[in-house]
Parts: sequence; C-alpha cells; structure tokens
Amino acid sequence: MSRRTHPPLIVRITLHIAVYAGALTMVLPVAWIVSTSLKSHHDAISAVPTLLPAGPPSEWQWHNYAQAWTIAQFGDFYRNSLLVAGVVTVLSVAYNALAGFAFAKMRFRGRNIAFGLMLATMLLPFQVYFIFAYVLCGWLGYVDHLQALIVPFLASAFGIFYMRQSIITVPDSLLDAGRIDGLSDFELFWHIVVPLVRPALGALAIFTFMASWNNFFWPLIVIDSTDNFTLPLAVNRLTSDYFTPSPPIRMAAAIILIIPTVGVYLIFERSFVKGLTLTGVKG
Amino acid sequence: MNGRSPSSSWRGWAFIGFPLTIILVFTALPTVAGVALSFFEWGGGDKPRFIALDNYQAAMTRDPQLWLAMRNTLVFAIGTVPVTVVLAFLVAVALHARWFVGKTLARTLFFLPTVMSIVAVGFVWQWMLNPRTGLLNVIVAGQGADLPDWLGDSWLGLGTMMFVQVWRNLGFCVVLYVAALGRVPRSMYDAASVDGAGSWRATWHITWPAVRPMTAFLVITGTIWALQVFDLDVVMNGWNPQRFNDLLNTHIFREFKNGRLGYSATIGVFVLVLTAMVTYAQLRWLRLSKATAA
Repeated sequence: MSRRTHPPLIVRITLHIAVYAGALTMVLPVAWIVSTSLKSHHDAISAVPTLLPAGPPSEWQWHNYAQAWTIAQFGDFYRNSLLVAGVVTVLSVAYNALAGFAFAKMRFRGRNIAFGLMLATMLLPFQVYFIFAYVLCGWLGYVDHLQALIVPFLASAFGIFYMRQSIITVPDSLLDAGRIDGLSDFELFWHIVVPLVRPALGALAIFTFMASWNNFFWPLIVIDSTDNFTLPLAVNRLTSDYFTPSPPIRMAAAIILIIPTVGVYLIFERSFVKGLTLTGVKG
Repeated sequence: MNGRSPSSSWRGWAFIGFPLTIILVFTALPTVAGVALSFFEWGGGDKPRFIALDNYQAAMTRDPQLWLAMRNTLVFAIGTVPVTVVLAFLVAVALHARWFVGKTLARTLFFLPTVMSIVAVGFVWQWMLNPRTGLLNVIVAGQGADLPDWLGDSWLGLGTMMFVQVWRNLGFCVVLYVAALGRVPRSMYDAASVDGAGSWRATWHITWPAVRPMTAFLVITGTIWALQVFDLDVVMNGWNPQRFNDLLNTHIFREFKNGRLGYSATIGVFVLVLTAMVTYAQLRWLRLSKATAA
C-alpha cells in the first residue's frame, strides 16, 4: 500500500474545527432541551437562561421525567409504539428480504415487470394516495386501530430494493452449489443468503424501526382514540392549546420520546454503518 | 444471468406475492383512485359528483394560495437539497480521511437529528427560537435586544424551516456518503498520488466523480422529500390558516380537513406531476438513465 500524503497541519486543524463546529450545531439544540428538562419551571422561563440547571446534578429536577410520564400517560403509549414498531420491523424485514432474494436471484415470469412496477411506487407522493389508503383502511375495519399502523407497512419498495441490491452481490456459484445439494429456494435463502447479508438486514431493521417509531403523519390521520395513540401523537398533544404543561415537563416528554431511537442507533451504530457500506446503493 | 431457475416458472411469486400486494394495494391502487377523484367533487360522506376539469380550472384560475405554496415549495427544495448534499459530501470526506480524529463520535453526532421524531424536532426548535427564552437569542444578541421572529409568517420563517430541514437531513447524507467513500478503491488514489495530485485535487477529480451514483441518489430522494415536506411545517407552525409561507402539502391537507377531498386530490396530482417532472429532469441531467436501468 502506498501512502497518501496528508494535507498540511494547518489545513487538518481547520477542517477538524469546521467539522466539530457542525457537529456541535447538530447536538447543541438537543443538549439545550435536555438541560431545560432538568430545570424548575421558574428557571426554564427565566429571561436570563443558564446553560446548565441550577445546583449540582443531585439537585436537578429529575422528577420532571416522572411527572411527564404520568401526565402524558406514557405507559400505554409506549406499549402501543413498541408493539407497532416491533411487529412492523420483524415482519417487514422478513418479507422485504424474501422479495429482494427473489428479485435478485430467481428467474420467473413477470419478474422485471413486477420489479419496475414496485420501483415506480417509490415516486408516488403520499399526498395523492393517503385519501384512498384511508378509505381502504376504513373498509378493512382498521381505522382507529393499530392494524392501520401495521398492515400497510408490512412491506416497502425501498426495503425490497435495498435487499435486492445487497443480495445481488452474493456469488451465484454459492447458490449453484446449494442447488446441486438439492436445497429448495427457501433453503438457499435461509442457509446461504441470510448469513451473508446479515449486516444489510441489520441496517434495514434499524431503519425500519426508526421509521415506524417516528411515523407521525399517518397516525395523525388514522388514529382518533387516545387509547390507540402512539408516542409521537401523545407528545404532540402536549402542545395543543387546551393541554400544555410547563416547558420542562414538555422537554422531558420529548426526551422520553427520542430515547428508544437514539438508544437503538447508539447501540447498533457500527453494524448500521457497516450494513450501508457493504451493500445498498452502489457508490 | 442471476440464478438458474427456469424463467418460465412462477415460483418467484411465492416470495414476492404478499409484499408486492401490500405495496400495490396501499400505494398504487389509492394513487389511481386519487387521480380519478381529482375529477370529482367529494366531501367524504356524500356521493362523489363528477365535475370533469372544474377542480383543475379552479386550481389554475381561482386559487392564488396554491401558486404561493408552489413557489415556497420550490424555493424550499432548491434552497435545501444542494446545500445538504454538498455539505454532507465535504463532512464525509473529512470523516473518511485517515488523519481525522474521532470519526465515529463526529459521525454519531451528525446523525443524531436524523433519528429524532419530527415531533421532538418541533419541540427543540420552537424552544431554541423562542423569542423570550430561546438560547439562540441569548447567544446571538445578548439580553433585551430586539430580535426577529424566526418562526414568523415571512421569508425569515421559511428560511428557518429550510435551515431545520438541512439540520435534520444532513447526518443521513453524511452516513451514506461515508459508506459510499468506503467503497471507492484505494488504488484510484494511489494512481493519483503517483501523478502528484494533492488532496484537494484528488477530492475534486477522483472522489467526487467516484461517488456520483450516491450523489444522484441523495439529490433525487432529497428533492422528492423536499417537495413533499409537510410534518416539519406542522410541528413548527401548527395548523395555521392560509399563510404567506404555506407549503404545497400544508395547502392540500387544509383542503382535506375542510372536507374538499376532490380538490385536495387535484392539488395532489399537481405534486405528482411536479415530482415526476423534476425527477425525470434530474435523471437526464445526471445522465443516469443508463446507469440506473440495471
């Protein structure tokens, strides 16, 4: 390996400063609401805001979180959100991977037409189809039930496309060897393909979980009863005119809302990036 | 080429049948119905009444708010997508360099806004930009100064939304660029360094062209998302009445909520046509037609 020449030290330092200034811009607003969530109501709305809550950490207003949890009845909504995001993640990754495998490695009638049709749906704007997606959910009896947040999301064109691009890199020779051993298509998928594309599956799972957890607009349309709220709907309600708790409580609620996705990302960061690097859109 | 099962077989449909059905039933079918609905007047409960092109005529001649929203949406897309993509590329190049200290940390920090619920994003920025207690006003102007209304119904308000759009999408683009850079063969740079090319020239002449497919992907998906942005507007501005800085989709959903389903479908068709035209133009411009026709 020949070595690339590094840019001069001054350039390297400047670039570090620029990049970390950008990173700070990303984080500072979030850090600010974490700080607010640990202040008293009086300190939070003070005209002279302080960067940190008053006093040592032991005196910070940790009880804001307990209060936010109770006020917003987060227990029920957490259960709803976990149920929806969990079921959607497990099932849609499975269906997308199976379909991606068929598009990448099987030859069958109508494959190219089906694939083109599916890709074309990625262009369709939500604004055109949401009306009849809603009507359809009404016919199926899904409106105002969690099924409305699960069934339409059991497969995605993006996910299938992504898995197809990943699986297409698996060498055909491996699959041929399997076929000679008499493996069925499903066995080829399960025993040969899945172990090889595990990073891509992981990346897709993380992506799907986050999209489902953060889904806001569709639930806003299709869910009416508070009982079936997901967490974003419940938190959004805290800004409505008739029900507005004090700023620290609201910020605590926002933090509670983002903890699962931030947590999942921090835990799986490496495999997520690895999954994107090995596969996906060719770069 | 791919696979060895005979092409006359139907077996693949066992794998794609269910997922394809879900996708077609919940997107393609309702789209067709939505386009059809744009020729009707419909309040939701009553029987739809066929009015041919009346909705389109109304949109073209009697709805100035639509054109205002169209202008704002185009400004929003043009003002956010190139900035996001170029910034993300530059950050990713720095993060990819061997000498960069704290790659994983920086990458994670950039990605943080992307994983946040849009509802939390709204909370964050409404609180940051709060005219009385917002951190920004304290930092920028100190105490008691007269400050602009960042979230107002003005060009400034639109600019703020654009800034937040860049803020929340930048990390996504950075991570995808970092992934794409990881796939550029080192040998390409070795050849360049033999030729005596410096870092800047290598970045411009080798790296940027090498990640062109990713750039195309980010520009196209970013534009589609920008043209269809809506939730950001709702969490930052709420369900306000018609505004100066309206976006197309806010307009659509207002009509929908007011029970004018046929007319909202008509504007939806405008978005569909706009999206298709812009995507087609970008594909042509990026000369990708060949490369993507796998």
